[in-house]
Amino acid sequence: MTPQLRTQPGLADSAPGKSHLTGEQFGELMAGSTESAGGELAPAEAHLMVCEQCAAELASLREAICVFREASNAYADEELRRRPRWVLPERRSTSLSLVPAYWVAAAAMFLTALFPLQVLRRHSAQPQATAVVASSTPTSSAQSDEALLEDVNSEISATVPTSMQALADPSDDETAANSETSVPTSNQRKD
Amino acid sequence: MHMGHEGVRMFPSTSLSLGAEARSTPLDDLENVVAMYQPRVFRFLLATLRDRDAAETLTQETFLRAWSARASFREDCSLATWLIRIALNLARDHTRTGRFRFWKRVSASAVDVADVAAFVPTRDGSAEAQLIAQQQVAGIWESVARLSSRQRSIFLLRFLEEMEIPEIAAVTGLPLGTVKSHLYRALAVVRAQHNTRGATPRNPTPRRAARRDATTKETQ
Repeated sequence: MTPQLRTQPGLADSAPGKSHLTGEQFGELMAGSTESAGGELAPAEAHLMVCEQCAAELASLREAICVFREASNAYADEELRRRPRWVLPERRSTSLSLVPAYWVAAAAMFLTALFPLQVLRRHSAQPQATAVVASSTPTSSAQSDEALLEDVNSEISATVPTSMQALADPSDDETAANSETSVPTSNQRKD
Repeated sequence: MHMGHEGVRMFPSTSLSLGAEARSTPLDDLENVVAMYQPRVFRFLLATLRDRDAAETLTQETFLRAWSARASFREDCSLATWLIRIALNLARDHTRTGRFRFWKRVSASAVDVADVAAFVPTRDGSAEAQLIAQQQVAGIWESVARLSSRQRSIFLLRFLEEMEIPEIAAVTGLPLGTVKSHLYRALAVVRAQHNTRGATPRNPTPRRAARRDATTKETQ
């Protein structure tokens, strides 16, 4: 039975009266599609047995692509060899048993970072205390001022000032005795 | 943006977080994963971007992203597929920017087709065969450059990475039919370019015909 082949436009002109592989059949043969190899490709393969032109064309293109593949691969492999190898980080075991170790390391790092902060806080606390003292001094001086003013007020409001108490009651014996002892001194001066 | 290739690369250690350690993934052994898949990811990105520095930068980024998102890797596809998917997304984002187009024009690390053609395998040994093979590589290289972004990705995944179509569908997130459609269109462009260059003789050479006959006899 003669295989049913469609005429390919390009080749039909060069070989009048003779049908050739269609583009799709040619593609299927080139691609080597395994799933269609049993059914659709059978007429195409049968055609290749009788048509030298199609067989030669197919062989030529297969050969060219094969050479292209080999040359491309050889070039790429050589290019890759020329380039420096990648340095991959060493593989670290990250099993679950090591998870606590990661937490310990994280805690240690946290504490290490916290320690300077604590030292810094201590250093910064001292000036704060000085500032507290400095801020409390005006308060105490204000209190003493208040007390002084109160003393002055009480002195002023008194009928007889404390310093003049001795003159306030001349009948007082003690005061008189004191005045007698002091009077001769003044008399002696007059003499 | 591109990292220079001087100096030693240091994979960012910040990626070693403890957040996603509840479930073990294949990516936990990052060193082995990099050793195993770095060439493949780099090859794909180099062919896609055609810029050495950009390819390496995005390769690093691919593994970094994969590591960061390793908890979301459900192993419903292979690790290679997952990595290539990340690389493809990164390449897509990268090529969308106007900055990429600018750097592509001026970058000193852009890949020249002659560099690639120089790596043509020497099977036959004759200078003529070597020259023909180099021309073939240059032809395919130029054809691939003309493809749309999606067609190019799919073409490279199929013929450079040799992925099967369902795997490509998984990487790109496209339906199988769409992947096939893009692949066939890409092949049509490459084939047309290949024929235009005269790589395919209209009348097969006796050597090729003899080889084909031998193959036919073997199959019979």
